[in-house]
Amino acid sequence: MEALSHMAVMIREPWLIALVAAGTCAGIYVGAIPGLSGTMAVSLLVSFTFGWEQHMALAVMVGVYVGSVFGGSRSAILLNIPGAPAAVATALDGYALAKKGRAGEAMGLATSQSVIGTLLGVLALATCAPLVASIARNFHSIDYLMLSLMGLMMVGSLSGRSVRFGLIAGCIGIFLGCVGVDGQTAVKRFTFGIVYLNSGVDYVVAMIGLFGASEALSQITDMKATPVKQKVDKILPSWAESAKYLWLTVKSSIIGVLVGALPGAGGDIAALLSYDQAKRSVKNPSAPFGKGAVEGIIAPESANNAAIGGAFIPMLTLGIPGDAVTAVLISALTIQGLRPGPNLISQTPDLFWLIVASLLVASFFLLVFGLTGIKAFTKIVEVPKGILMPTILILSVIGAYAIRNSVYDILWMFGFGIIGYFLKRFNYPIAPIVLGVILTRLCEENYRRGVMLQGGSVMGMLGSIFTSYISIALFVLLVVLFVTQTESYKHWQAKRRGEN
Amino acid sequence: MKKLLALTLIFALAFPAFADYPDRNITGVVLWGAGGTTDSLIRPLSAVAEQYLGKSIIIQNMTGAAGSVATQYVYDAKPDGYTLLMGAENPALYDVLGISEVTYDEFDCVYLIGDEAVGIIVGKNSPYKTFTEAINAAKEKPFTLKYSMTGKGGLPWVVGSFIMDVTGAMFNMIPYESDSAAKNAVVNGECDFTACLLLQGIEEAKAGDVKFLSVMANEPARALPDVPLIVKEFPGFSKYLPWGAFYGVFAKKGTDPAIIAKLADAFKKAGPDENYQKVLVNFDVNFMGYTGEKAAQYISSWRKNTVEALKSSGALDD
Repeated sequence: MEALSHMAVMIREPWLIALVAAGTCAGIYVGAIPGLSGTMAVSLLVSFTFGWEQHMALAVMVGVYVGSVFGGSRSAILLNIPGAPAAVATALDGYALAKKGRAGEAMGLATSQSVIGTLLGVLALATCAPLVASIARNFHSIDYLMLSLMGLMMVGSLSGRSVRFGLIAGCIGIFLGCVGVDGQTAVKRFTFGIVYLNSGVDYVVAMIGLFGASEALSQITDMKATPVKQKVDKILPSWAESAKYLWLTVKSSIIGVLVGALPGAGGDIAALLSYDQAKRSVKNPSAPFGKGAVEGIIAPESANNAAIGGAFIPMLTLGIPGDAVTAVLISALTIQGLRPGPNLISQTPDLFWLIVASLLVASFFLLVFGLTGIKAFTKIVEVPKGILMPTILILSVIGAYAIRNSVYDILWMFGFGIIGYFLKRFNYPIAPIVLGVILTRLCEENYRRGVMLQGGSVMGMLGSIFTSYISIALFVLLVVLFVTQTESYKHWQAKRRGEN
Repeated sequence: MKKLLALTLIFALAFPAFADYPDRNITGVVLWGAGGTTDSLIRPLSAVAEQYLGKSIIIQNMTGAAGSVATQYVYDAKPDGYTLLMGAENPALYDVLGISEVTYDEFDCVYLIGDEAVGIIVGKNSPYKTFTEAINAAKEKPFTLKYSMTGKGGLPWVVGSFIMDVTGAMFNMIPYESDSAAKNAVVNGECDFTACLLLQGIEEAKAGDVKFLSVMANEPARALPDVPLIVKEFPGFSKYLPWGAFYGVFAKKGTDPAIIAKLADAFKKAGPDENYQKVLVNFDVNFMGYTGEKAAQYISSWRKNTVEALKSSGALDD
């Protein structure tokens, strides 16, 4: 009851609804433009709303946050450039669908799944925040290491034709992820004395180059092909379809909430892990994964939006940011005179419920803004290649530059574009490279930390797995994921099925 | 008519662009990420200062390599007052840490906002009730107590080196990716203790998740008046105090003094702004508002003290 009365603030102050709507709309475009991120937009708002009343500032920021996470799927589906890191997995099947003339369906699906994901995330935030927060708080270095290993095992599911090629691509990514100043010892690796290499390779740059620029390059060499005519008669999935995929949506959203709540991992890793989960668990996908499976959109899109509610959990209950945007929100609250930390909810319950209410309102407007204009958006894919491909290249340059305002990033982006072009020509998968760049830090730093914590003993680190329930659970999951991928297990499965 | 034209031309040549500085927007490069303390202190300050400058200050975050990427970026730009470094204490130590050759020696401090004191925290289940107890335990078994930090060159690393130097105790220093991760490691028991800015631990302390053992200051902290001072237990610290994180606005050396004066003037008016002072209180920053010589002196003595401590603790080679 108390919750409802706090949430009624939206009705008492109806302009908050307008602010959430404006934020959501702006956020979608920020998210859709590669290189512009929700983090940038929300931190701009911190200066812009300095002096505003608390509720108003928060409402617009929450709107932008939700919009920007969803917006990334637009450019991923239409141009094969994930507009935000959390949309990497969406590009894999989304763009494949667009090439089949089903971009409208893909965008409709991304919208409806993002809305459901957001709602499930909010549900988790409102009902089991303390539980999820205690899991996030007690996640140790060894647990992050195991999580990153699960991520790295995805090389197998992203490899397509041959695992060997996937492993080579993954190794390229891991190598590039090592470039820069090591965060733990301040030792420079592969920087060749160039200061701008000190901060390493930004994985969004890698993503824009490998997906966007390389696609433009390979299409330019094949100019004769005419653009695919897009079907726009079917945009929203039917009720029967939604019901059929409901379990997948729920599973993916749970992964989204849990991974999103971890301070060391965000919506991008949540989306990749749930894509992997979908690929393992869906027996008969509508099309092979990577070739336009709708399941390949449902899983990451519901997970990355559910991760929003997840990221708010440690932020509001512990004062620890769940991702980059919530880090900015913490500072925004501090500027406003609040003290984010374990006492925030008990001291200012109205604030907690305002955020919950804003998230609900934002998911409604996500549906509205996400579905209107899909027909206009699909026209982008029908633009003649002579215009579209140079535009993609220009967008890639702007996007790469905008992330850190660094000219070096443009060079990196082109480098990745050319690598991606040749890898594609020789049928190497490119997604494992991005995976490697994203996960290297998480994996390496937590491995080293895990060993250091045991006074330098690797055996001691392995032994520490059995000191916490979270670690044991992750270890069991890791072993199961590994074993079910082996040839001997698959033989055994096939044999067993044969006997039945 | 011709004379007038010639005169105008001479004037135009004699008074270069800075006569009406700023005639376009200024870029302020923050060397830590969005949402960090540096970012949070700079954005509201710039929002006030730009009203006195008449042009906007566009804030950009340029992260990477403990802020050295942003520092290099501003160093590489023209010293025309249109690209400013919005910095914390880190660049003062880049050369001794081997991160970069470009330090605050290459910059003029336009405005020093203030500094922030540091405290030592342990988790709620920690057996150590006082700082002395923790140090004695560490001395008994060197390198077994785990001290979480943010990597070489970060603030907890420097404080850890101070402690090792003054007390002679040695710990196992464990690096984390951010200050909140380092703090969380103490809360969940992965590490025994750490140093953090007072603000970052206050709410956890109130909730009972962490306990402040000591405050690194000569006088009791406004926010934590009852926590013992480190100098009471180990008077050896007094030679390094006051010490803490500091924040300021910097321009590359070689910038016209008239431009620096104009910028300093705007920030000097913005600092005491009533709303901004509230922000400083919220972040528990001690307001200084130094400019010119006073700011330069503060930074050079901060650097001298810190390097001395790092060297005598063995954290840095001579």
